[in-house]
Amino acid sequence: MPNFLKRWESLLLIILVVVVVFNITQSPVFLRTENLINLFSLHIEKIIVALVMTLIIINGEIDLSVASVMGLAACLMATLYEQGTPMELAILVALGAGVLCGIFNGFWIAYIGLPSLAVTLAGLIGYRGIASMLVEDRSVTGFPEWFNALGQDALVGPLPLAMIVFFFLAVAVFIALHYSGYGRYIYFIGNNLEAARYSGVRVKRIKLSLFVVSSTIAAVAGILFAARLGAVRSSTAEGFELDIITMVLLGGVSIFGGKGTLGGVILSILIVLCLRNGMNLLSITGNTQSTVIGVLLILSVLIPNLTQVLQELSRRRQYVLQKE
Amino acid sequence: MQKKPILALEHISKNFPGVKALDDVSFSLRAGEVHALLGENGAGKSTLIKIMTGIYRQDIGRILLNGEEIHLHSSAHAQRYGIAAIYQEPMVFPDLNVAENIFIGHTDQGLVVNWGGMYKKAEEILSTLGVSLDVRSQTRGLTLAAQQMVEIAKAISQDVRVLIMDEPTASLSAHEVEQLFALVRVLRDKGVAILFISHRMEEIFQIADHVTIFRDGKRISSYAIEEVQQERLIQDMVGRELEAMFVRDFRAHGDQVLSVRHLSKEGVFDDITFDLHEGEILGFAGLVGARRTDVGLALFGIEPADGGEILLRGKPVHIQSPAHALELKIAYVTEDRRQLGLSLSMSVIANLSLPQLGKYLNLLGLIRRKHEIETAERYRQQLNIRTPSLWQEAGKLSGGNQQKVVLSKWLNTDPQVLILDEPTRGIDVGAKAEVHQIINDLAGKGIAIILISSDLPEVMGMSDRILVMREGRQMGIFKRAGTSREQIISAAMGMAEGEAGA
Repeated sequence: MPNFLKRWESLLLIILVVVVVFNITQSPVFLRTENLINLFSLHIEKIIVALVMTLIIINGEIDLSVASVMGLAACLMATLYEQGTPMELAILVALGAGVLCGIFNGFWIAYIGLPSLAVTLAGLIGYRGIASMLVEDRSVTGFPEWFNALGQDALVGPLPLAMIVFFFLAVAVFIALHYSGYGRYIYFIGNNLEAARYSGVRVKRIKLSLFVVSSTIAAVAGILFAARLGAVRSSTAEGFELDIITMVLLGGVSIFGGKGTLGGVILSILIVLCLRNGMNLLSITGNTQSTVIGVLLILSVLIPNLTQVLQELSRRRQYVLQKE
Repeated sequence: MQKKPILALEHISKNFPGVKALDDVSFSLRAGEVHALLGENGAGKSTLIKIMTGIYRQDIGRILLNGEEIHLHSSAHAQRYGIAAIYQEPMVFPDLNVAENIFIGHTDQGLVVNWGGMYKKAEEILSTLGVSLDVRSQTRGLTLAAQQMVEIAKAISQDVRVLIMDEPTASLSAHEVEQLFALVRVLRDKGVAILFISHRMEEIFQIADHVTIFRDGKRISSYAIEEVQQERLIQDMVGRELEAMFVRDFRAHGDQVLSVRHLSKEGVFDDITFDLHEGEILGFAGLVGARRTDVGLALFGIEPADGGEILLRGKPVHIQSPAHALELKIAYVTEDRRQLGLSLSMSVIANLSLPQLGKYLNLLGLIRRKHEIETAERYRQQLNIRTPSLWQEAGKLSGGNQQKVVLSKWLNTDPQVLILDEPTRGIDVGAKAEVHQIINDLAGKGIAIILISSDLPEVMGMSDRILVMREGRQMGIFKRAGTSREQIISAAMGMAEGEAGA
């Protein structure tokens, strides 16, 4: 097998091309600018968070609380605004709450050593609980014009603010992960935490910082989501964490940490978005869409392991042949 | 009266890549005898046990049980033949109670557990052993000694005929050792053959009927205990083979770098005191469980000490983390190269620059690749690291080359104190000589080196002075000149006090 094909990213690229070609042949609308913008916009908050989730999972951890932090930030902002706080200040406080959530998660995980699965599961429930206490079963609307415009109107050319945030963040995460010392540490910790510690890497600080970044970006995404919808409920962004983690894993990032690239995650994001968009254009229901994505995810976990098993088998065969 | 052997091993050999672990070993155990096995680390004792319990298979040779050849393919299989082993760390299931642990291997009892019967039988077994334990209590709360009793009871319940005890006393108190020995005698009188391994000479004279000495994978000698002296055993363990050649240029030492005063960590080591100078190599000798690595880990901040003082160039320091040790220019090359020394799936170059990565970052935190490559290339040439490329996964290199990457990564931190923990373990002879040459050069450059090694010729050939430890205590510091291997071994086994200080 040529080396090129051994890479997960190559496989993703092929899948993406197939999906795009299929979409083009099935629907003339697909390539129109409005459709492409729409394709991104419908899930833009999730894919913003997925960028940082990539770092967390490569680091060998997981953050299940992101969607609840999105909801909490939106609800906190909405409640404060309702009670007369200026919108700008309400946004700042909501972002601050995101930072605090990150510190809280990161403290238990990095400094106390609890598993991130448990801590952020508690966060998932707890932060959503606070959001529900704030807004109860109301739907908060009536935000200032400029705020709704920020979420709904094009800011630069045809691009709304959220997409600009996504592109800048993608570039920043790409550089951080693949060209900076921080990214190098993330890979080492995800690969072998103890070996990193024995090499003098400040493992705790890096883990804490990652969870702070994750929750802060989630808060940003939550506010962007509120602006796009123009309304906030306690259930805002509920269940998003699973879509986000799905995109990251489909991108070839190992759930055990240490492996994966941002390029893979971007490709998988594009595949998921194009698939959903294509199925929308064909009027396929959401449930069927989810099933298709689910099958893709299973394959994404299966295939890399399958190639590993095959490689191992051929290695053993060679070994036996050598011995003979 | 000579009893008939229960278990006989005939002409057993076992090779691992690059190592002859056992070389034509014949050995037998008789019913109702306690047979002690003696040997330095790496003499082949563990391999022998693993073959007897079906964990390894011998390359050549036969195992006979009551005169019939058997082929063991797992430890469960060996247990069915009545061969069981217990280790220093008991392997009980902490959440199960005593009776459940005793009968855990019994899968032939049908689907429903007869609890009443099980408790009763467990009590019976324990009472024949003269042990009083509540069979319904969880094993989690039991002392190590009591857990061992449970393991022995488990072996009895499986009709044990050969019981292997691998350093069972290493973590027990004197009183508990007495209890264990009483139990061993009960078993012996029941006709069980017992293979007993210990590094404590006095225990061997206390409990064993016979003793066999291993060295370098060979069986050297066997004696009945009443007809042999300690000195003889030690001589046989150490051997008289030619000293290997070690490159070491002895020079005058520079200033004092490190001074360790009464360093202690509760339950681990106690009252360790030494000085270390520029260009000096201080060897740490001792047997398994001597806690030498723990002293290294304390100096590197992985498991900080809780008592005593560490002075670095005369200033007291409290080393709390590896990152802190690194700032103080203390480096530690771990004995566990594959798990802790390297990230095997990361590249050679990334591993090499990791501890000093901060030095390779520009103002934006981005890695200056060119600078990083220059450094890696320099070490590749200096230490002769054989790798197809700097971007090769570290795990794909040979053991010797991996070790050179580890050494490079720490040399690149420009250490003033370098702690080497078993730096030549698991690497081939050629690479070993290269590593010795590197260590010598480093001392020549004025680095103060602590060399922890279980390879006695190595530690004696390379060191200026040798600190001997035994079970967490410092037995003495010996000058290289005029110290014999027998003296070091005796100290390591707790038989004589060396001259303290130096």
